Amino acid sequence: MYLTLRELRHDKWKFSALGLIIFLIVFLVLFITGLANGLANDSGSAIKETPAETFILQKGSQARLNRSNLSKKDWQKFQNKYHNDATKLSVAQMTIQRKNNASKKTDIAYFVINQDSFLTPKTVKKTDGNQVYVSRKLESDGYKVGDSFKDSNSGKTFKIAGFTNTESYSHSPVIYLNNQQAKNILPDSNSFNAIALKNNLTKKSGYQVISKQTLINNIPGYSAEQSSLYLMIGFLYLISLFVLAVFFYIINLQKLSDFGTLKALGTNTGYLVRHVLSEMGLLSVSGILVSFLVTYLIQLKMPASMPFSLSLTTLLGTGLLFLIIALLSALLSLIKVVKVDPINTIGGNN
Amino acid sequence: MSVLELKNIIKNYPDGENINEVLKDISFHVEKGEFAAIIGPSGAGKSTLLTIMGALLSPSSGTVLLNNQDISHFSKKQQTQLRLNEIGFIFQNSDLIPYLKISEQLQFIQKISNKKPTDAIAILKQLGLGHRLNSYPNALSGGEKQRVAIARAFINQPDLILADEPTASLDSKRGREVVQIIQETVHQQDKAAVMVTHDERVLDLVDSIWQIEDGKLKKVNK
Repeated sequence: MYLTLRELRHDKWKFSALGLIIFLIVFLVLFITGLANGLANDSGSAIKETPAETFILQKGSQARLNRSNLSKKDWQKFQNKYHNDATKLSVAQMTIQRKNNASKKTDIAYFVINQDSFLTPKTVKKTDGNQVYVSRKLESDGYKVGDSFKDSNSGKTFKIAGFTNTESYSHSPVIYLNNQQAKNILPDSNSFNAIALKNNLTKKSGYQVISKQTLINNIPGYSAEQSSLYLMIGFLYLISLFVLAVFFYIINLQKLSDFGTLKALGTNTGYLVRHVLSEMGLLSVSGILVSFLVTYLIQLKMPASMPFSLSLTTLLGTGLLFLIIALLSALLSLIKVVKVDPINTIGGNN
Repeated sequence: MSVLELKNIIKNYPDGENINEVLKDISFHVEKGEFAAIIGPSGAGKSTLLTIMGALLSPSSGTVLLNNQDISHFSKKQQTQLRLNEIGFIFQNSDLIPYLKISEQLQFIQKISNKKPTDAIAILKQLGLGHRLNSYPNALSGGEKQRVAIARAFINQPDLILADEPTASLDSKRGREVVQIIQETVHQQDKAAVMVTHDERVLDLVDSIWQIEDGKLKKVNK
């Protein structure tokens, strides 16, 4: 540490530049991670945040809600076995508009649920008539509590009773309807898309049984978005490993004669290894902390239309992973430092 | 009593299929309070001899006695420890650590050593570097740098001081000053010192002169 702190003080600009690179890379990783998580939420939070574990779909529906069609007979089978741990779910992606303004339409997703069931978000209270609870995402389209909107297809009008969290399905805000309200909108109110179960189930003959995560992965667009973003993040980690390794290698290469002198003077190799590691560690930690701060500030300023979500666990996990990568990238330099022969200081060879 | 004694030192290097004998049966000794110089043409083995004296290199055969302890077969770790505590080095280009202030060059040695620290500032002041304590090496002249290197070599109270061409990068006046400082400090503190040099103008300052030629060392009468 004695050498580390003094070297950082003496070569502050050189090390600031390296710290800046670390900051930029970590910030980019955090930003894309936040965006990936935000898009994931935007795509499937209405499913993800339910306590459901398993979804029962029609056989051959390829894990897609909109391709599944179940009947009353199916429902009875499961209801008899699971009682309150099973509930029906219908999802319909439609369009709504302001009551008297056909030019401004908004894509939404209706979730038809039983209001007593576990699929109902905690913020949804029992309503009747045309009162509905809608996702807070609709707020960014200018809707407020008490506003009315019209289902573009059927012409049926609803009134917003309140907002839930930002539940969404395939990037559309969710509107929760009860069976009665759905009757006016959906063509066949006797059939439905899926049965949600609170229990774990892997197989049931005659049905497609999938986990919640499988269902989310098959929401249109979800996998494509997530895999491309995570590919970018993966490459960023890989690139930063090499970039930092090269930068640090060059910085340490310039100092090899100093390391030789230090060894000749009686500094043991372990001390020098700790010096190199603590130098890289300090730089990385400061770069990471600054990127935490900047990410936090950016998060406050992000528009609602740009979904961004970063939990504390993800934030700290990314920071830790990056610290490990930075220390790994110091390995190459360490090999050089260990191999420096103090003999070179004698005879004026350097 | 000899601080450093070399007995029948041979150092070979493999050179293709042949063996290149750099040091041929060398014996040498330096006493407490003695300042010895080793002179010789380049390529004669001066540097190799100094690295063996300084526990940077082990001889192919022969014994190296430092304070009557045979150090010729020490492990790398033991050698490092020995260099830190028993030997003070003065290098040709002074080789100060560029990112340490002058006072810190000495403090660092005291920090990694477990010897009782002496007053580093006082030593620097004594060498006329009192106004340079908070400077970095790049602000110093060649002579000043070499004086810092001398202070660094003596700071840990080693018994043996080794100087590798300490005047090489200095003009003759400054070079002489530097050797004079080494001489005075060696005598004052009753240390043993060995200086490798090709600068014959400073030889009047040393107590004994050895000449190395073709890997053979012999004492020259002053």
